[in-house]
This record gives sequence, C-alpha cells and structure tokens, in this order.
Amino acid sequence: MSAAASVAGAAVIWIILLGPVITLITRMSPGDLASALTGPGDLDPLITSVESGLVTLGVLILLCTPLAWMLARGRLPFPRVWEAGLLCALLLPPLVIGLLLVFMVGPYTWVGGVLDWLHQSATNTFLALVIAEVYESAPYYVLGATAAFASVDTRLEEQAGLLGDPPRRVFRRITLPLAAPGLAMSLAVAWARAIGAFGAVVIIAYHPFGIPLQIYTTLQETGLYSALPYALILLVVALPLPLAAYIWSARAERRRRG
Amino acid sequence: MLSADVEVDRRDFTVRAALSVADGERVALFGPSGAGKTTVLEMIAGLVTPRRGLIELNGRVLTSTAPPAVAVPPWQRRVGLLRQDPGLFPHLSVRANLLYARSAAGGAELDSLAAQLGIDGLLPAMPAQLSGGQRHRVALGRLLLAHCDALLLDEPFAGLDAALRRTLTALVSHLCAERGVPSVLVTHQLTDAQAFASRLAVISEGQIVQEGAPDEVVLRPASRLVAGLVGYLGFVPAGDGLVAGVHPDRVVPGADPGRGLVVSGDIVAARPSGAGWEADVRAGDAAFTCRLPGRPAGERVSVTLLDAPCFGPDGALRDVTHSRSSNPA
Repeated sequence: MSAAASVAGAAVIWIILLGPVITLITRMSPGDLASALTGPGDLDPLITSVESGLVTLGVLILLCTPLAWMLARGRLPFPRVWEAGLLCALLLPPLVIGLLLVFMVGPYTWVGGVLDWLHQSATNTFLALVIAEVYESAPYYVLGATAAFASVDTRLEEQAGLLGDPPRRVFRRITLPLAAPGLAMSLAVAWARAIGAFGAVVIIAYHPFGIPLQIYTTLQETGLYSALPYALILLVVALPLPLAAYIWSARAERRRRG
Repeated sequence: MLSADVEVDRRDFTVRAALSVADGERVALFGPSGAGKTTVLEMIAGLVTPRRGLIELNGRVLTSTAPPAVAVPPWQRRVGLLRQDPGLFPHLSVRANLLYARSAAGGAELDSLAAQLGIDGLLPAMPAQLSGGQRHRVALGRLLLAHCDALLLDEPFAGLDAALRRTLTALVSHLCAERGVPSVLVTHQLTDAQAFASRLAVISEGQIVQEGAPDEVVLRPASRLVAGLVGYLGFVPAGDGLVAGVHPDRVVPGADPGRGLVVSGDIVAARPSGAGWEADVRAGDAAFTCRLPGRPAGERVSVTLLDAPCFGPDGALRDVTHSRSSNPA
C-alpha cells in the first residue's frame, strides 16, 4: 500500500514538472507549426541559435575542459578562490551578466576598441551572441566537468602510467573515457543553457535574433499563441543533445557493469 | 638487478632504505603499518621523489639526486606496481586490461598466462563482473604481460581471505621466479612474507633493521625490536641480565631443560586459538603469550622455550645456549 502511494506521489510530481511540456504539446497543432515556419526568413532564428550554440560548445570544450581538469586534479593554487569565482559566475543573474558585459566588452571599452580595430563588435552581433551564451553556460559546464574528472580514480591514471603510458596517452585512454559520461551530461546542460540564453542576450545581442528572442518579440507583437511554435522549436532543438547524452551515459555505465 | 639506496622525509620520521634485489630474487619488505614500506616502493616506481638517493635497474639509473640529477618518469621506468586495489580499468574488458601495456604481447603468451592464472574463461568479461580474487589475477597478468623489468607488490592480497591469499601468494612467487625479474613484496603479514620471499627485510620507522633468510630472521632476530615485529609475544629473564624471547609457536608444554629454557608462571587468561589454546602467562615481572595443544589445566603452567633467542640489556641478540630454568616467580 505504502509502495503504491509512493509511486502515485512520484507520478504526480513528475506530471507537475512535465506540465509545461504537456501544455505546449496539447496547445499546438501541426498547422500552427507549419504556418510559423514556412514564411521567408522564418528559420533564421533557429539557424542562428543552432550556430551560436555549436560555437559556444566549441569554446567551452576548448577553454573550459582544461580548466575543469586542473580544478579536479588540484593543479591550481588556492582552489577555493577559483571555485568561488565559478560559483559567483553561476549565481549572477543573466540580466546582470548582460548589463555588465556591455561595460566590459561594449564599444566604449578597451576590449571594444580592440574589436573595433579588428572590424568586429561585441554588441548586437553574432560574436556578442556567442559571448553572452558562453557567459551563461560556462559555469554549468566547468562545474559539471570538474565533477566528472574528479570522479576518475587517480590510481587508475597512475597505474596506466606505470604500464608505460605518458600523461597525454593516459588522458586519452583512461581519464577521458572514464569521465566521458559526466562530460557529456555537462556539455548537454551547457547546450540547453546556451540555446535558451535570454537574460544576457537581450541586453548585449538583441540582433541577430535567436529563438529565445524570437519568442519574446513574437509574444510582444502578436500575442501568446503566435509564440508557441517557437517555444516548441526551442524545446525540439534543446532537448535531443541532453537526451542523447543521458542515454549514452546510461549505456556506458551498463557496459561497464557487464 | 634492482638496487635502491634512498632517503625521504616523512612527517614522523625519515625513511632510509638500502635494498638490492638480484634478477629472479624475491624480497619481502616486512614491517608494521606506517613503517615506510610503501614509500620505499613508491620511490622505486617514481611516484615519490627521494630527498637523497640512487635507484638503478639493470644498470639503468632511474633516480639520482647527485649531480647530474636523474628522475626517469614512471612511464619510462619499466617497473610494475601491484597494489591492494588491483586497479583494473573499468571501461575495458579483461582481455583489453591484460593487453593494456604497449609492450604486452597477445596471442600465445596471453592464452598461456591466462590459463596459468586461471582466468582464460574470463577474457571477454568486464572487471565489474569479477570476484576479488579474479581481479587480482587479472591485475597480476596485466603486470606480467607488460614485461616489466621489476615487480613491486604493495600488500596486493591484503583484503582477501587467508586461503585465497595463500594461493595467490604462492602463484605470484612462482611466476616472479619463473620470469627471472627482481621483485619486492611489501606486507605486514609475516606468513605472506615467508611464503613469497627468498629474503626478508624487516623495516621499522623507516629503517631496515634486519635482512636475511625468512626463517633465520624469525629464529634469530637481531634485536628485541625485530623479535617483537616477527611475532615474539613476551620476554622472560634468562639470567646474567639477559632476556629470552618467547615465540608462541616455539613453546612446548612441560619442563624439559634438555630442550631449552624452562619457564613457569601463572595463567592470566586462556582462549581457543586455531586447533589449540593460547594462554597469557605472568612469570614474576615478565609476561608472555604461548600456544598450547589443549586447554591448560590449573592456574600455573610450565613450558619449555625451544631455541629461544636471548637479548642483552641493550636489546641486541646474544649467542647463548639454554639448558636451565627461568623461574622468577
């Protein structure tokens, strides 16, 4: 009896959490979706979001993975200071990040000056969109990737070294495969954050439109119903990577258990 | 040939060890927990840097603190280390684990070693599917297939039951001798050390306090300190300011002065031990523990210590022949 009650309770919470998704699907018809996406330029926000999201992921992998590894292996002095900085970035409201980014990389700053000299700008450009998405998603990726690397037993790395592998090969053959499920999940979370970034984006990169801004402007200009197809597109674009990462992690874990 | 003469500071004491192991020789570094045994192995493996020292393997300098300083990284040392945690790579199958080292050969050698280790049916399995003993066998096979020039074993079977430990110790001892590589076992279990080694080195607080054949070290401990480490559970007066060490297994019940020193005392406590009984005996100011074939009858007991080593007031071994009795009570 109590087991059945627990399952029922869990199911109620699950349905409540999934409520927005269920609402979105039940409120939409294929016709709404088709009419929202068949006009000229209708797919541009989607393309912008996917492109900026992919570039953001590339930046995170290249710059934040080594940082996460160094944090996990205690290779940085004063580790608490580094962690506090990451938490600070995580806890900063996105709107505030956008506001501060204007004062950091805007046209009247020295960074803006350098970018201007390079015929670039960090406001209302694709670059600005990527910068905003990186700031909104990086802390999630770094913290997740740090935990993924920290979960790899250093004694295994040590053993691989004693069996003749230099550190780079140990990283490739032991550290990376063992941390991969956690890294994939962190990357998936970062992707969802990047593709759905709005707070910082609305201030520093109002143009070009990604999907979140398309939803916002459609909502402002033509009402709730017109924004729903874009909400569904955002969901469809944002979800597959996390889902794939989750399924792949689960399969990797099952394979390890044999 | 492996030789190490190293010194490193630890929080409580300085580890100073000089060890030389010939090809095919098996040395056991025996001592209590925290004596610095593992530190010595880690210095040889290149995981800990000595403050001062020279480590050579087959004429190759692995570590030298004297100018020009040499510190060969662990992955170039060709030294295998097997710890209590077998450290199998969980994402690789048993076969992939065995063949992990780039120098590892597959084919006939893999098949023959797997059969020798009794893991030939487990090659496609994942490490998580193996029992504790099987994991240790795979880890040992991986080390042997890597063709290391020296094998270091850091209490590898400490977490296993006694029977399995005995089997694996005998197996590893046999394989090390067969391969002809110098090997060092670190353990705080005297029986493991004796089963494995052709030479025993006793270490205490970072210093090697005695080295020799395993039976010689146990029967003729160089000092009271070593005697205590190798299982002597008490010392009784033996005249002329000397004390005799009492090893529980080197005691026969009854007074037989022709066979050794006779000691009489009061039984303080007795308990079953293995197939016999163990008794704590107080003889005057001295106390010792001995094993008896059956439950002791009465409150007093007389026992004869067989070939008991004697120690002087300085704690050093003295050459004395016993045929008298020690009855301080």
